[in-house]
Amino acid sequence: MAEPQATRGAIAAALSRIGKPNREHMAQSALQVSRWWVAALMIAFATWQIMLDPFGFSSLTQRYTQDISNLLITGPYLYPQTGRDKISVALIEEDTLHTLQMGWPWNYGIHARALDSLLVLHPRAVVVDLLFVDQRKDDTLADLAGEVRRYREAGVPLYFAAATDLPEGALPLRRELIAAGAKMVDPTILVNQGMTRQYPVEGLCFGSKPADGLCRSLALTVYRDLYPDQPLAPLKGKMEIVWGMRTNPAFTRWITGGSCSIDMPFSRRMWLAFFDPEAVRARCPYSSYFPVEKLMMGDDDPDVAAMARNRIVFYGASLEGVQDKSFTPVNGLIASVFVHAMALDNLITFRGNPEQDVATIGPVTLGSNLAQVLAIIPVILILSWLHMGDVRRRAKRPKAAEQKGAGAYIADKLASFAWHVLAFALAMGVGLVLTLTLGLSVANWVEVIFVSLVIGGMLLFSVPDAIWGYLHHVAVGAPREECS
Amino acid sequence: MTRKFLFAAALCLLPLPAAASDSCANVAGDVVLSARTPEVDLYDAPTGKRVNIVKRDAFPACLAIASRAPNMMIQVMVNGSLVWVPPHMVNARLTSKKPAICRNLAMGTGDSKVSATRGLGEDCPAQQKSKP
Repeated sequence: MAEPQATRGAIAAALSRIGKPNREHMAQSALQVSRWWVAALMIAFATWQIMLDPFGFSSLTQRYTQDISNLLITGPYLYPQTGRDKISVALIEEDTLHTLQMGWPWNYGIHARALDSLLVLHPRAVVVDLLFVDQRKDDTLADLAGEVRRYREAGVPLYFAAATDLPEGALPLRRELIAAGAKMVDPTILVNQGMTRQYPVEGLCFGSKPADGLCRSLALTVYRDLYPDQPLAPLKGKMEIVWGMRTNPAFTRWITGGSCSIDMPFSRRMWLAFFDPEAVRARCPYSSYFPVEKLMMGDDDPDVAAMARNRIVFYGASLEGVQDKSFTPVNGLIASVFVHAMALDNLITFRGNPEQDVATIGPVTLGSNLAQVLAIIPVILILSWLHMGDVRRRAKRPKAAEQKGAGAYIADKLASFAWHVLAFALAMGVGLVLTLTLGLSVANWVEVIFVSLVIGGMLLFSVPDAIWGYLHHVAVGAPREECS
Repeated sequence: MTRKFLFAAALCLLPLPAAASDSCANVAGDVVLSARTPEVDLYDAPTGKRVNIVKRDAFPACLAIASRAPNMMIQVMVNGSLVWVPPHMVNARLTSKKPAICRNLAMGTGDSKVSATRGLGEDCPAQQKSKP
């Protein structure tokens, strides 16, 4: 009988301590905190923050950080120009229609003419980023089908974007073009919070049977066909597009009323990137670009010839009222054909192993959240180990804090600052390792930095020690209480 | 002897490029000199359909250009009928002015876009015309 009564008494005492804790005993208990408790609590906090993404703040911040990184460093300075000299875009614009005094949409025959004038310049391949789906009466359809034949005879691959959101049984491309042997590709792109930052890895096969059995998106299909010597990495998840910003100088020839140059001092770029990102955006697309009317003139323009010869040329349109534009982090609103061009540029530049939102280690593919949780564990262990050293010192010299002079106070603050710098440096190091070894993009590891800084702050203010002290006090009680 | 022969041969060859460019000198104005691509498409209208395909060897030379369409198509008389040929398929001597090509940084200008389709446009700004 006495034991249950004692248990009830202990529970009642514990309950009374929840509301009225003994602060002195809590402080003493906090100095006896277990190192495993500190590490486990911080790992639990990091997991909660990374996995659950409360209020969506983390994902918003991650993407914004990637945009800033693109505008500040990657785009203007680091992104190599390997792919830029292998890809071009031939664009139909309002000015094209005005110059040629033509309406829109063009009939198939006009597109056939444009494609034929491109073929004369010996491109490596051509990707038509226009959908030819609707069953409209047009006597010139045979001309376009004939153009498919000419490309085949010339040995130049010709790809057609095919429709993906059609009713059951509808063909993704005009039957006559399919019959002529047109290669179809899936032109789907991804929009993340209104911006084009990622690119799909998988797409529809449209009845074709790739050698590797995998149906890929537009850029990946073209890359797989044209770069067999640099095979695609086993990609899963999504591609993270790295946007270049250094426009091909030949493009600037068409420009009036502005400059495509992005040159400015790094300090100014940094200032503007934070306080006026619009001002540091590139005003011209990264990919080499020429107007389609230059092709139609047949005037042997050397710049156009150089931008077409032995390059993969995207043939697309940028017209008001034709809703095929995308908002990109470095350009603002541009024709979506440039998204495909940039994705292919990434694949060529990174030799088939682009940045991704997943990390693949051997046969195992980790989502970015799990990769970040695993990546932050060593940071937490190091910070916890250093923190425990400080706790043990304080436990040995409890009065030291009360005897501080001004110098010690300043030193203490400097140490706090250094503590945060350490947390930042450790997280940054982990992030760079993730990028360089596993190809995980900035947006997919930058949260390690944010969470590490929060954890650094929590350890600085001894939050896990305080929780330990409180729980220990509630569970066990102060020695004086036990005596009474 | 050999040297003299080579010199004479060189003298004979010298006028050849000039002769090639002057091969259509008897045709005044704009003229299609020859076929440029292995096949030349013949159209019934500037934006019409293809009515015939002529192999390079069968395409007649020195065709006087009857007219030029705004979309750059060239009208010539082939085998007794007026047809249109795309300019990229032929070598031509053209004296008419080509339209200026210019872009006013319509792309990448930020967060706004025009929400109406343009009807008619204007030429390049006079003070900033680019080379055609």
